[in-house]
Parts: sequence; C-alpha cells; structure tokens
Amino acid sequence: MKSFIAVLLRLLVCLWFIGGGAFAHAENSGPTPEALEKARKINEQCFACHAPEALQHPPQAGLDLAKLRQVIVDPDVFKNADHGRLACTKCHNEGYDDFPHAPDAKDSTGTCEDCHSKKVAKIEPEFNRSVHAKHMADKFTCTTCHNPHVMRNAAKQTDAGKLVAQDNRICLGCHDSDQTFAKFAPEKKTRPPIDDIHSWLPNTRLHWQSVRCVECHTPLSSDMLSHEIVNKDKAERKCVTCHSVNTQLNLRLYRYLAKDEHQKYGFVNSVILGKSYVIGATRNPILDSILIGLAALTVLGVAIHGLLRIVAAALRRRK
Amino acid sequence: MTERIYLLPLWLRLWHWTNAALIITLGITGISIHFASPSTVLVEFSLAVRIHSIAGTLLVALYAFFVVANAISGNWWQFVPKPPGILARCWVQIQYYCWGVFKGEPEPFPVTKEANFNALQALTYWFIIYMVLPVTVLTGLIFLYPQFAPSRIFGVDGLLPVAVLHYLSAACILLFAVAHIYLGTMGKTVTSLFKTMITGWHEH
Repeated sequence: MKSFIAVLLRLLVCLWFIGGGAFAHAENSGPTPEALEKARKINEQCFACHAPEALQHPPQAGLDLAKLRQVIVDPDVFKNADHGRLACTKCHNEGYDDFPHAPDAKDSTGTCEDCHSKKVAKIEPEFNRSVHAKHMADKFTCTTCHNPHVMRNAAKQTDAGKLVAQDNRICLGCHDSDQTFAKFAPEKKTRPPIDDIHSWLPNTRLHWQSVRCVECHTPLSSDMLSHEIVNKDKAERKCVTCHSVNTQLNLRLYRYLAKDEHQKYGFVNSVILGKSYVIGATRNPILDSILIGLAALTVLGVAIHGLLRIVAAALRRRK
Repeated sequence: MTERIYLLPLWLRLWHWTNAALIITLGITGISIHFASPSTVLVEFSLAVRIHSIAGTLLVALYAFFVVANAISGNWWQFVPKPPGILARCWVQIQYYCWGVFKGEPEPFPVTKEANFNALQALTYWFIIYMVLPVTVLTGLIFLYPQFAPSRIFGVDGLLPVAVLHYLSAACILLFAVAHIYLGTMGKTVTSLFKTMITGWHEH
C-alpha cells in the first residue's frame, strides 16, 4: 500500500512538472510568426476602411463617411497597443464578413470577459464599490475607460510618463470636459471644476503630469491597481503617503518599474528620478548623513566652546 | 567707562531680524519637507509646504531689497574682505576664538564705525550672503515654478540638481546660523551684541 502511494505521489509530481512546464511555455511564447502574419493580413483589410486615411481617400464609393468617422482606429497606435498583435476579427467576429457590416454586428463583438475572465472576476467587485458604479453602473463598461485599440497595460510600460498620460487622459476626458461628463453623470449633476476641487494640491497640473489620478483615488491593492475609484471623501490626502522614503508610488505607478531600482547616484527610489524628483521620497542617504553629522558637530562645537568659556571665566574670577 | 557708537541704521536692523525670522521659518519647514515621514512630524507636510512657499517668496523680495539697499547705502563695502593680510587677520581671529577668548584677551579687531566686521566675519558674511544665499533663493524660485526647471539632466529629472543645490546651500546657511547666533554671545557681555542688533548702538 505504501509503495502504491509513493508511486502515485511520484506520478503526481511528474505530472505537475510536465503540466507546469507546458503552461510556462504556453505563457512565454506569444503568437507564432505565421499567426502574426495572418493577423496582419486580416487587419490590413480592416484598416483599408477604418484607418484615418480612408476618410480622405475612401476605398469605395458611397461610404457613409460620418458613420465611418466614429469607427476609425489609428493603425500605428493599435500596433503598439496590448491587442496590437491580434486580428481585429478576434473580437469583431460575427457579421463583419460583408460590406457594409451587418447592422447588429456590434452586438456580437467579443467582450473583455471572453479572454480576461480571471481579471474581470477580480475587478468587478472593486468596480461595484467604486463611485462610478453608484450612480452610473448601467452606463459603464470596461471600454468606457479602457479603449482596447489604444490601451497599454501598466506592467508593459517602461516609461512612467507615458503611463501617466494614458491613464490621466481617461479620467480627465470626462472630468475636464463638461460635454463628456454630461453624457455619463446623473441628471442635474454638473461637473465640478477640476482645478478648483484640487486647489489644495500644490502645483496641481504638474502633479497630473507626474502621477495618475488613481494614485490617490483608489485604495492600495496588493497585486494590480484597484478599480475601486473613490471620490474626494475617501481619496488620499496625506502628502507623505508619496512624499516619504517608503513612498507608496513604488506600489502604484512604479510597481513594475521598481524592480529596476539601482540607487542611481546614491539616491533611494531613484527609479522615480527618471521622471520626477519627489521631495521626501527621492533622497540621498549619504548626503543626508553627512549634513546631519555636520549639524550635530556644529551644535556640539558651540556647546563645548560655550561651556569652556563659562568655565574659563569662572576660573579667571577665582584667580 | 562704556563707549557707545551708533553702528546699524534702522533699515539694516529691520532687514536682519526679518531675514532671521524667515530663515528660521524656512529652516524648520524645509527640514519637515525634506525629511517628511508619516511617523516623525515636525510640521505637517502640506502646512510646511504652504508656509515654506510664502516665507520663500518673502525671502526673495527681502533679498532683492537688501542687495539694492546695501548698494545704495554703501553698506556693501563692509562685506568686502580688504587686503592686505586678509588671511593673516583671519588667522588671528581664529586664534582668538580658539584660545584668546578663554584667557579673557580683548577682541583683536574691535568694531569701529568704518569696519563693522573683522576679516573672518567679512569673508564669511560675504560668502553666505553673496555666494550661498543667491543659490538658495534662485533654486527656491525654480522650486516654486518647477515648470521652468530643465526637463532632464544626466538621464534624471531636471529638478534633481536644482533640489540638491537648494538643499546644500540651505544646509550651509543653517549651519552658519547656528554659529552666527552663538558668536552673537561673544560681545562685551553675552547679550550686548544682540542689543546692538536691536538698538543699533554698539558698546565697547
């Protein structure tokens, strides 16, 4: 019986290794060159109509250009997006074979959940707690914020500035535009002027160039960024959350870049220095120690000097 | 018998004490900002930033006023270390601080109306006020308007060299301030130089 269990255990271990290895291989290897070429050819057909050039030089007569304008995708932007190596037909799969496409083709477009079910399962409860779900749950989908033809995942971004620009464009797209805000906001709700409500934050617009709105407007999450967007009542207002040596920026904006931290020029959190100097966070401990040491020596020096003067004066008086 | 000379005009005394108040304010808030931490709080960060920005702006204006007033009044001449024998006179002064003062020796270079400062003072004040303080003021101004900082230098944010210069020059001023306040006790009595700085009258 014991030997049977031992064999079974060995078998399980082998299976685990084989399975794990195969999984790791599947994860690391992207689409094959053939698959990429196939996708490129498919997309070429789509971009014949859906690229901006098609508006200037329509590929066929009689196209409804006003309608087409709403479904234009920049091929260069798409190529660099996370989905850029996929064929358009991966999501736009039914009703798109004919021209013009079937009127209900849009209804059968694939959803994010079709491929990202695990992520969606994590995100959904977070989103349901967010301020956007409170009044506008029916108007919000993933693509309200995340344009699948454009988005680049934070984990794949090597330039914090580009990530900030991409993500803040999403928030400011509505919160800095009365027209777009009105599309989603509940009736009678007017857009609060974005600069006024952030007037407490020094160099407000410069902050928005260096960090994302979500650094303050989401609770800290252990893995990926939380989708629980919170309003001003719950948003982070403690400056030292970012402006200190143990800056939370390392767990947020710089979560994926922090692994490249090399204490450049002796600075801690130097990975942030590539984009911003963050007072309190990007510090040089050696310089700090030298200056603290000099200050201590100065204070000690004058204290000893003063004490010796008192003693010397007392001795002179006694003489 | 105590001899008194009127040494310091009102504008200079007002500048000095305003400058002192601003430097102390900027020092305390600056330390709070640079060494910001959730656990140890000298002045809360956002409050420290607000106070530092206001006091910094006032210091910029005050420094501009001082440079102009010092030039117009001719007081700038006091800050110029005058040859010959600057280093020798500095050395005599250092010897006095290190040894003579304990033996009760008199000041080697007593204050006169023509020469308010001994050579060591003139050299130090000139260096701090005309070399270090402008660096702090200028880098502080860039900190107030960081959009004017260079965008990148040596592969890092252009604000880094500005910040380092601001930090080093400000630390230099604070270290000077500690020594300066202490040396203020080395007049005829412990308080006489402070009184001079308030009344303008110097006692020998």
